[in-house]
Amino acid sequence: MRYHLRALRLELPALAEIPLVEVCELLPSLGFPVDGVEARETDPILDVDVTANRGDAQSHRGLARDLSARLGAALAPLSHTALAEGEALFPIRLEADACPIYATAILELGSVQATPEEAVGLLGAMGANAKQLAAVDASNELLHRYGHPTHAFDADTLKGALIVRWGREGERLVGLDGVERKLTAEDLVIADEAGPVALAGVMGGDATKVTASTRRVLLESAYFDPRVVRRMAHRHGLHTDASHRFGRGADPAMAPVARDLLAARLMAWAGARLVGAWTAGALPGVRPAVELAPGLLNRIAGEAIPLEEAELWLTRLGCQVARSGEGLQVQPPTWRHDLAIPEDLAEEVLRLRGFDRLGSALPPLEGPPQPLESGYLQRRRVAARLAQLGFFQTVTYGFVDPEEPPLGDEAAGRILANPLGQEYSLMRGTLLRSLRATALANLAQGAREVRLFEIAPTHRATPAGPEESWTVGLLWAGQAGGEDPLSPVRSLAPEEGRAFLLGVLEDLGAVAQPVPVAEDGPLGWMVELPLAALPAHSERIIPPFRPFSRFPRVERDLSLLVDLAQGYRELADAMAASLRACAGSAFQDLRCVDVFRHKSLPTGRQAWLMRMRFQALDRTLTGEDVDAWVAAALEAARAHGAERRA
Amino acid sequence: MDLNLLPLEIQEAHAAFPVALAACDELDALNRLKGAYTGREGSHAARLMDLLKTAPKEQKRDLGAVINGLKQAWEEGLKSRQAELEAARKQVAGLAAHWDAELPRPLPARGALHPLTRVMDRLVDVFRPLGYHVEEGPEVETEAHNFDGLNIPEDHPARGSADTFYLNAHPGLLLRTHTSPVQVRALKRLAPEITARGGIRFLAPGRVYRKDEIDPTHSPMFHQVEGMLVGHDIGLHHLKGTLAYAMKALFGPGAEVRFRPSYFPFVEPGCEMDVRCPLCGGAGCRVCKGSGWVEILGAGLVHPNVLAFAGIDPAEWSGFAFGMGVERMAMMLSQTPDLRLFFENDQRFLAAMGGLD
Repeated sequence: MRYHLRALRLELPALAEIPLVEVCELLPSLGFPVDGVEARETDPILDVDVTANRGDAQSHRGLARDLSARLGAALAPLSHTALAEGEALFPIRLEADACPIYATAILELGSVQATPEEAVGLLGAMGANAKQLAAVDASNELLHRYGHPTHAFDADTLKGALIVRWGREGERLVGLDGVERKLTAEDLVIADEAGPVALAGVMGGDATKVTASTRRVLLESAYFDPRVVRRMAHRHGLHTDASHRFGRGADPAMAPVARDLLAARLMAWAGARLVGAWTAGALPGVRPAVELAPGLLNRIAGEAIPLEEAELWLTRLGCQVARSGEGLQVQPPTWRHDLAIPEDLAEEVLRLRGFDRLGSALPPLEGPPQPLESGYLQRRRVAARLAQLGFFQTVTYGFVDPEEPPLGDEAAGRILANPLGQEYSLMRGTLLRSLRATALANLAQGAREVRLFEIAPTHRATPAGPEESWTVGLLWAGQAGGEDPLSPVRSLAPEEGRAFLLGVLEDLGAVAQPVPVAEDGPLGWMVELPLAALPAHSERIIPPFRPFSRFPRVERDLSLLVDLAQGYRELADAMAASLRACAGSAFQDLRCVDVFRHKSLPTGRQAWLMRMRFQALDRTLTGEDVDAWVAAALEAARAHGAERRA
Repeated sequence: MDLNLLPLEIQEAHAAFPVALAACDELDALNRLKGAYTGREGSHAARLMDLLKTAPKEQKRDLGAVINGLKQAWEEGLKSRQAELEAARKQVAGLAAHWDAELPRPLPARGALHPLTRVMDRLVDVFRPLGYHVEEGPEVETEAHNFDGLNIPEDHPARGSADTFYLNAHPGLLLRTHTSPVQVRALKRLAPEITARGGIRFLAPGRVYRKDEIDPTHSPMFHQVEGMLVGHDIGLHHLKGTLAYAMKALFGPGAEVRFRPSYFPFVEPGCEMDVRCPLCGGAGCRVCKGSGWVEILGAGLVHPNVLAFAGIDPAEWSGFAFGMGVERMAMMLSQTPDLRLFFENDQRFLAAMGGLD
């Protein structure tokens, strides 16, 4: 919100002595960060961030009030003469609790209207133009200076009576902005006998507005329930200066005061003559006082704050403070709706005192530290391992475009109601599309080799809503090598990329089937699997000791002719089983170390070079031992149609 | 094949053959091994041939078979190893002699954790010694956890569809707008054991969603790290001490912080913390908009309603909570100028961010 430094100084004369730089330090320390300063050298306007709970500070006097409390300097007296109230000159009926008080007056305008320079300047600083209609300009000026929204009707356009009531289905109102809106029973309206003339606390109506030809005005200075105003503003998408202030809680006690101030301005600016002033309803009852116990204040502060000091700060804020037993009994001022619990009062004391005066300490441990959750540790371990293995972790949006592939019934439960756009509308069920898009973008940017992984939740629709499961996805695409003279560049053979990803998965302790990145695009493979399919994090620091042999190891190669269609796993398992059966613990490993395909081999056959490793825990193996075992392995291989390659 | 027919040293030599063969990593060594096993003179094979000559006639047949078997095994082994070494040598043929070690060398594959992960991991590591564990919650949340349990009133503007993403088929579900609902979940779950545990302290890193258009400083998905501590007699000084420690751990021992009053519905008192601008050191620059300070997190003492909502007695227990934007912190730590870079995942950026400097 914008504040004109000159107008702030009008409310708090002591501010004239304080340089702008200091004001810009002072305000944040009170909870009002300064986002920027315009016209710093000439006539500064401050852009100040006011939090939602401080509706009372949304005016120059409101902000000055907080500064005055901190500085202990008096606000300028409010130049306000209370109007003498009399008979109601026009029937006003309050039919909804949301409006407890409605102060009004009728004035006859003079023939010449002139908005004074000072007011024009303030309105300009606020980004509003003076309309040179006294009733409109004065109401705006009051709003920015004192924070209480008021309204003026052209009294001669009102029919019969003014009623503050709930709207009725089917009613319509054309606002000051010229837009016609349908009203509902949740809208609080000001109506005359012909229908609604204003949306209470939000916007006046076009038909009853003040114009240059208006002769008599009826003023409105009321209090409306903030919740009601917020909902109306939200429902109609109408965020006006008035709804902003009423919506954050105006000061009900200001209703008659603002009416008086507005009337005084009309008399001064437009030669207006008061016809009569009166008030419908009454101020809402006093809210209950709040007890502030010293224990609570001292706990929050981390040190003993003398009660007198707390009393001083709260009194400066406008609270009525009385001693009550050990603590204070505090009646917050009518403009501070946000002070409702003792913690609120403690905050006020410490805020005015300055948060920089608070001490600093680490809270003592009250119990043993808790272990980290195993799912979290697993994810961290997997991510670290994949990074070590040469993969780059990506972070992509959790929502994707549902267009491709076509959306099935299942995915309907993962669609957002109000996405940023179609391409961000489906909570994703797979990481692969995001990985592929990232890979293709990198390749398009000239990357030769892309190695990516992502660890993120994916979603699956269930009747209760999308269900989340942590998922890891990997992708490898492009070409290898070519970055140094010892590693010649080569495109990944199809079987190589797939085997590489399988090898990485094996390293992680998992199995899954990679799929091509694109049917007809660049060569590459990708795979995903739920984290639950990976070994869980183990609390074990190091595994149990397993004895190993210090006797020589024997390695034997066996070249086998097998069918091209032969399954490796099946053959290797059968050979390993027979080796385990005869060699026992001396059998250590069996693996294919070479695949040979050549036209010199029998048609439909290939050669697998199987390497076996043996080592006994208790002795040096003899050639005889090993020969017998190899023979057994060959036997097992023969049972699967393999034969020894001559 | 009965090796027992052979002298012991030949038996041992045969047993040692595979190891010796594998140990030959150059052709010279292989040729020496070849000489020792199958050479014309003085080799194991030559000795075996002498043995065969002098053997009694009735043994010659069996012995001949054994010797042939051995020689064949050795020759095969030598031949295949020779092929391997020659292939390897061919690749670097002629290169080794005048190879300049400064030529680019093959590097081990280098990957990297995403910078946002690195920042979140570091935060967890920084808070671990203070006894914080990690709590997590789902991205698709209920209104009750995301708003109600955090004292955020039903008509709060943040709950509107202009700010919060809602699920189409499930009106009560939304994409969490902050990591604070993890507070609600964790407090509720841990409330029954709070006394036994000696309070609650945790960090909640995670992804959150807000309906912001994508630009250099906004993203509809971003990351937060929430922290919470509940104990006895917790005050603002504890919040200050904890965060000052954490900021020094992140930004270095000279890190300077300041606390300002602020407002969040789920804390009371509420505050925001600024750090002295790490770019300009406080002199004023574009990043800190000339103020010398950069806002880095929101915090406060846990609102008694939030404790009570979770079933924890606010008369006995008190605590603090804080929440920080990970992207913002990553941008400050790395001077990355545009938030979108974190989600583009250009490998060049990821590789650079994986560096240690």
